[in-house]
Amino acid sequence: MPIITVDGVEYEVAAGRTLLQALDDLGVLMNGVDIPHYCWHPKLSVDGSCRLCQVEVEGIPKLQIACDTPVKDGMVIHTKNDRVKRAREGVMELLLVNHPLDCPICDQAGECKLQDYAYAYGVPHSRTKEPRRAAKKRVDLGPTIVLDQERCILCRRCVRFCREVPGTGELGTFGRGDRTVLDTFPGIALDNDYSMNVADICPVGALTTKDFRFKIRTWFLDEIPGVCTGCANGCNIFIGVANNKVYRYVPRRNDAVNQTWMCDAGRMSYKEIETADRLTGVSVRGPSGALEPAPLSTGIRVAAERLRRVADAKGASVIVGFGSAHATNEDLFTLRRLLSGLGTEAAAVPVVTGKADALLVKAEKAANGSGARALGFAEPGRVIERIRGGGADAAIVLGHDLLDASFLGDTADLARLDTVILLDSRRSDLERVAHVVFPTRHAAEKSGTLTNHAGRVQRILQAVEPRFESYADGEVLHRLGIALGLAGFEGDYDVRAVSREMARSVPAFAGIDLGSLGGEGAVLAGSKGEGER
Amino acid sequence: MLKVPYVTNYLTEHFADDSFATVAGYVARGGYAAARKAITQMSPDEIIGTLKGSGLQGRGGAGFNAGLKWSFMPKQTDLPKFLVCNADESEPGSFKDRILIERGPHQLIEGLLIGAWATGSEKTFIYIRGEYAYPAECMQAAIDEAYQKGYLGKDVMGTGFSHDVVVQRGAGAYICGEETGLLESLEGKRGQPRKKPPFPAQYGAFGMPSTVNNVETFSHVPHIIGKGADWFRQFGTEKSPGTTIFGVSGHVVRPGLFELPLGTKLEEIIFEHARGVPGGRKVKGVIPGGVSMPILPAGMLDVPMANEFLRERKTMLGTGGIVVMDETTCMVRVACVISYFFRDESCGQCTQCREGTGWMNKIVERIERGAGSEEDIEVLGDIAGKVEGATICAFADAASWPIQGLLRHFRSDFEQHVKLGKCPFPESFEL
Repeated sequence: MPIITVDGVEYEVAAGRTLLQALDDLGVLMNGVDIPHYCWHPKLSVDGSCRLCQVEVEGIPKLQIACDTPVKDGMVIHTKNDRVKRAREGVMELLLVNHPLDCPICDQAGECKLQDYAYAYGVPHSRTKEPRRAAKKRVDLGPTIVLDQERCILCRRCVRFCREVPGTGELGTFGRGDRTVLDTFPGIALDNDYSMNVADICPVGALTTKDFRFKIRTWFLDEIPGVCTGCANGCNIFIGVANNKVYRYVPRRNDAVNQTWMCDAGRMSYKEIETADRLTGVSVRGPSGALEPAPLSTGIRVAAERLRRVADAKGASVIVGFGSAHATNEDLFTLRRLLSGLGTEAAAVPVVTGKADALLVKAEKAANGSGARALGFAEPGRVIERIRGGGADAAIVLGHDLLDASFLGDTADLARLDTVILLDSRRSDLERVAHVVFPTRHAAEKSGTLTNHAGRVQRILQAVEPRFESYADGEVLHRLGIALGLAGFEGDYDVRAVSREMARSVPAFAGIDLGSLGGEGAVLAGSKGEGER
Repeated sequence: MLKVPYVTNYLTEHFADDSFATVAGYVARGGYAAARKAITQMSPDEIIGTLKGSGLQGRGGAGFNAGLKWSFMPKQTDLPKFLVCNADESEPGSFKDRILIERGPHQLIEGLLIGAWATGSEKTFIYIRGEYAYPAECMQAAIDEAYQKGYLGKDVMGTGFSHDVVVQRGAGAYICGEETGLLESLEGKRGQPRKKPPFPAQYGAFGMPSTVNNVETFSHVPHIIGKGADWFRQFGTEKSPGTTIFGVSGHVVRPGLFELPLGTKLEEIIFEHARGVPGGRKVKGVIPGGVSMPILPAGMLDVPMANEFLRERKTMLGTGGIVVMDETTCMVRVACVISYFFRDESCGQCTQCREGTGWMNKIVERIERGAGSEEDIEVLGDIAGKVEGATICAFADAASWPIQGLLRHFRSDFEQHVKLGKCPFPESFEL
């Protein structure tokens, strides 16, 4: 492998890569080796037009753009000498000649590369006396994105994104010279399933999402690493949180899973956290036949008593469990242990499917179908047959995907059961047949692990405290285990301890637990992973 | 229609005769013999060797050795190869390719045939500037006749060699004369130069190996192949052989085209051939090769018009478009006109060019209005320096050099504007 020297430090790099790619591969770009850049993006084709990434390559008279300079063994590069510094200052000065400098009212302020690089690499004074270019300030590009042409530095990342990633090509540049503007082609809207990514890759405040703009200054946001739960792909995200409120999801780079993208539907799924139909308290079916609010302890006691009664009467095999593909591995592992402890192996997980695409969106519309399968949950068919055949008297049900037309369709079959214990975060018809209802948490409100379609286990960390009474599914099940006096259930629920136990007792999860997982996740033993992209 | 050159040589000697633009007239004067000789008697390597040996420099402005450029075309490839003839003559001050197309289209076609044989190209795209409606018509008519008479298409002149020529008209952008901007435009895309490498010989028109040459460059080729490299070298200088068609415009008595050997002294062209400045006024400055080439002051008119001499004076031959300016001329207004042109024509992709061309234009216009300062002149020179050599294509250099040249030789014009707070040249051309 070629060895290059950058500012006196040697790096062994992959052959055939450009300088920026090679440094990005090593994880040192803008993280030890600072070569500022605008038009270059690790997942898009090379444009070479912003000219900011110029570096000095020994033996070549002109400064070279690092984005388009292939590495060669023995190459010696300087990124911070006076010549490079002056060149960057020149580019920064020119980029600002026509920029409106409306940072005080710009939504990008705080996460703007023009601000950051002007601060780090620019000159502190302006030499321009000329009027700045006037262009359109609020161009409605489509359902999701607004463009400010004055702020645009014409790096054209967005243009290349639309052409190269979704392949829709809605964007182009129009006009020439300093009258060049970004826009959609005439009569076309920026409207594709991945449109909002253009706001992420826009280094300045030119492209902003209608959903997020003007909601909050970005510097108030904590960016908590998480995983999108919209489908089985498990796109890595940052959850933007301030004042215990989730303001946005943005993609977090994971080259194996989602590169640097996420779909618009997934991005908007944060709205499910504060949806109006959240279950907001424990309830127990009272003597009148209606669900009545109850403290958690009462809910646990009643649920345990009913399960015990059913088991004592007909044996534990009449108890069935439906996990949820939205629940974490830890939640599902706890359900498995509870069911085994009771003495039943009838455990299934319904996974709702829908449309997939070739890019990121997977058919399974839940984050953890693979995890459920790895933990031994079956498809629901047999268990449903058993209910319909009268072979079940009690069910523990996580979530409401069971009501999907591909499974039960309605609550009629469950209505015949003696006992239905429901754990769910949202209201559904299942409440009509449930005897005890426990409100559970959204993925952003708890920690745990999820297993994506390729068997990659990824961690989620609690980003917000729930606004309503709610519990991790695992915690409810753990308390139920204690109330039932089952072996192995004791003390407080500790998701990390559960995760470790899962890693010890489930061979596929060997070595993979919440505490040891990195940001990239780890692939289950026996799974193929995503493979080469 | 343009008048034919006042001074002619091998390229233009028959241009006064209308029949030269027809197959019969061209063949009657020995036309297509060189192509026949090339295809039937010479190997591609021999042709490229002859061309290299002739020292023919590309006549589009950069002056690169044409034979060397042809030799870059891959020999072992399954891909179709293309020739591209750059007829996007857009450099202000240049109007030589136009006459070569209108009056000598078969000479060009013959050059293309020889180039096609030498590079193994199956098709030529002639990219002609949008404003050249009449030349495009002339070209197409000649191509049609050449097809009819068997000089293009399948089995050219019964040699078994086949070649197609297609005319593509541009839409009026200077940058589409830059060879890769041209290729993008040819492909139907926005005319923006490509980063290099890859060069067109590897990745050219439609991604295929391509050679791009200027109209005049191709037009020299039949003469070189027909009469030999040594014959060619009798014209011009050791390093810059051959003739070129100088286009003289501006303050001269007889503006027009003059086919002269490279190395002809600038003063000979201006005072003998173009008959000097009208009204007995003096020359103030001369742009030697289209407006992108730095200006020369009156004291440097003894320069031989060839790159090796012009470079010593920090300018270049460019396209040979000579613009003569007399003593009434305000050089700040010249800067206004030139910087406006480059501001208007920048494709807008590279930061320095997009922003720098506009900024330079705004500054010189302000200086011309009398609202400039000493600092503005400094800033102007500084921007011109920053814009040069830092972008994807040479357009930014083309925008920077004239400003640098004007500041180098006529800084006092700028300073006087600043000092007086107005333009001190009331008799200069109006903006």
